[in-house]
Amino acid sequence: MAFIRRQWTPREADEWTREDWIAIVLSPFAYAALMVGTALSVMLMPVGYVILAAGVVLTLVMHWVINPKLSTVSDEYEKKQKAYLEELERQVKWEDEP
Amino acid sequence: MVVLSFLDWFWIVAFLLLMVGSGILFYRLGKRSEADFFLAGRGLPWWLPASSVYATHTATDTPMWVSGVIYKHGLAGLWYTFFSAWCAISAFVSARIFRRSLAYTQAEWQTLRFGGLPSHLLRGWTAGWQVFMNMFILGWVGIAMGKICHYLFGWHPFVGLMVFSAACAVYVLAAGYWGVVMADFQQGIIAFVAILIVSFWGIAAAGGPAAIVTKLEALGQAHRLNPFAFTGWFGGDFPIAWFLTMVVIAVIGGFGMGTSIDWYAEAQRIQSARSVKDAAWCIWSGTALVLMRNAIWGAAVLGFFVLYPDLTEVKDYEMAWFRLGFDNLPAGMLGFFFAAIVAIHISTISTHLNLGAVYMTRDLYHHYLRPEADERQLVWVGRLSTLLLLLGSFVFGSIMENITEWLIFALWIMAAGVWLPNILQVVWWRFNGWAYLASWIANLVLSWLVVWVLPAFGVIPALQDYQQFWLLMVLGALVYVPVTFLTKPEDMKHLVKYYVMSRPIGWWGPVRREAEKLGLL
Repeated sequence: MAFIRRQWTPREADEWTREDWIAIVLSPFAYAALMVGTALSVMLMPVGYVILAAGVVLTLVMHWVINPKLSTVSDEYEKKQKAYLEELERQVKWEDEP
Repeated sequence: MVVLSFLDWFWIVAFLLLMVGSGILFYRLGKRSEADFFLAGRGLPWWLPASSVYATHTATDTPMWVSGVIYKHGLAGLWYTFFSAWCAISAFVSARIFRRSLAYTQAEWQTLRFGGLPSHLLRGWTAGWQVFMNMFILGWVGIAMGKICHYLFGWHPFVGLMVFSAACAVYVLAAGYWGVVMADFQQGIIAFVAILIVSFWGIAAAGGPAAIVTKLEALGQAHRLNPFAFTGWFGGDFPIAWFLTMVVIAVIGGFGMGTSIDWYAEAQRIQSARSVKDAAWCIWSGTALVLMRNAIWGAAVLGFFVLYPDLTEVKDYEMAWFRLGFDNLPAGMLGFFFAAIVAIHISTISTHLNLGAVYMTRDLYHHYLRPEADERQLVWVGRLSTLLLLLGSFVFGSIMENITEWLIFALWIMAAGVWLPNILQVVWWRFNGWAYLASWIANLVLSWLVVWVLPAFGVIPALQDYQQFWLLMVLGALVYVPVTFLTKPEDMKHLVKYYVMSRPIGWWGPVRREAEKLGLL
């Protein structure tokens, strides 16, 4: 099996897996690199271009890793959303509670 | 005072008509149902709520705040703005869990996550707190606009507060969240273009990037170009200990809900997205744009620093970015700049008018007063709530000078002692409603003691804010951890329903096993 999964069944995608954790770790570094890299690039400092490029690469890798899984979660969940919304309305009406 | 030409006034009037008019266009969509008035029918593609995230967090006071920290600390001051990085993890964790719960608000989510009396107490408390906070933010941001109008035109600050907030309320009253998000989209574009033009114009006025670097070196201020120029581990006004605390609060906070004051506005955008994936990418990309915008402001404020390196008063240097625009843009462009400031301003105002109204309508009126209310009534209550928030913001804005210190304290207590409970409620099945309620009550008491009372009597030394955070976290845990274990867990059926719908991350083993036993997974 590949280290990064790109094909998911709805049941598998509902679980928290390695791909989620990779996105969780990469994401803050992507933010920091985009912020610092932008500031230094505007000042025309070469190190800024490197950091900004690293931020873009991290963002693309993160998207590549997590987006297939998010798509599968979404597709499956949207099918159930109507029933869930009805359940939500029933649950939050506190007067109906036993 | 600034003198505007005919072309300047043309820009201002045209933009106002465009913004208010486009919001009103969505009147028919907004009145269809409560879900339309507050969540645009839960059907938005990711880029629309993303633009709203960006536009909402570009307020009139934001460039003042960013100017202040960059002028004082150089590019290292950018880390003050990194608090918004809670979205880095939240986009893939708490946003996903919250979107799947389908709760309109964080207050409603409390009744899905917790059960019984504590859940209803928490819903009432959270809703009341959010109505108050949104009114406060409206007053705070509104009076910032009043001050800018006073600086530009000599108007009394209250006039600037009232005129633009009232203009914005027209489309929020008419179209609800549809008006907010559609106007935010165009306001976000206008604001971003203006930020680029003014910032690069300002950098050019300072001689360009290379000249700014040379001048900083000549002034002996080259460290301002280093984003990691700290003042030691614990000493000085920018220690590494502060930086690490900020990174923990911001980044790890993404596992929870409500760890940042911005969560509540983002929660509305998360629920308005058409799918879990759109919800994740809307807050991730909107926040990425916010951070990059702050970086552009940061570079521009370095330009301002080399032009005016000797300012010592906060009120002078916090206007840095505005001054770069008003001092340097040519006639005809000033009106465009002011129109962009109006866009920046009302995109924030519209969000908080609608956000406060959803808590007032959905969580207070609909939940406690009229559970049987129909959709038409709820939309009208939403409009009435919007109006009440607007009027309340005028009152807050007019007394803001006197209460700011106390209300910043109120903002601080949102983050400190309840930071960890806000995470635990998401990741740990055993954390119950009583424990979460206890953490809030304990924090209200402890934060007063740690921040005000004990230092005043010399019992403890005056602590820096990052030290207060850790102390409040430990003291709070001494209250809510025993409460967790001395009270019963939530009803297992209630937890199973929540688990199956939301599929939370973390320590949910017993609930998962029960759900599997019942054949629900």
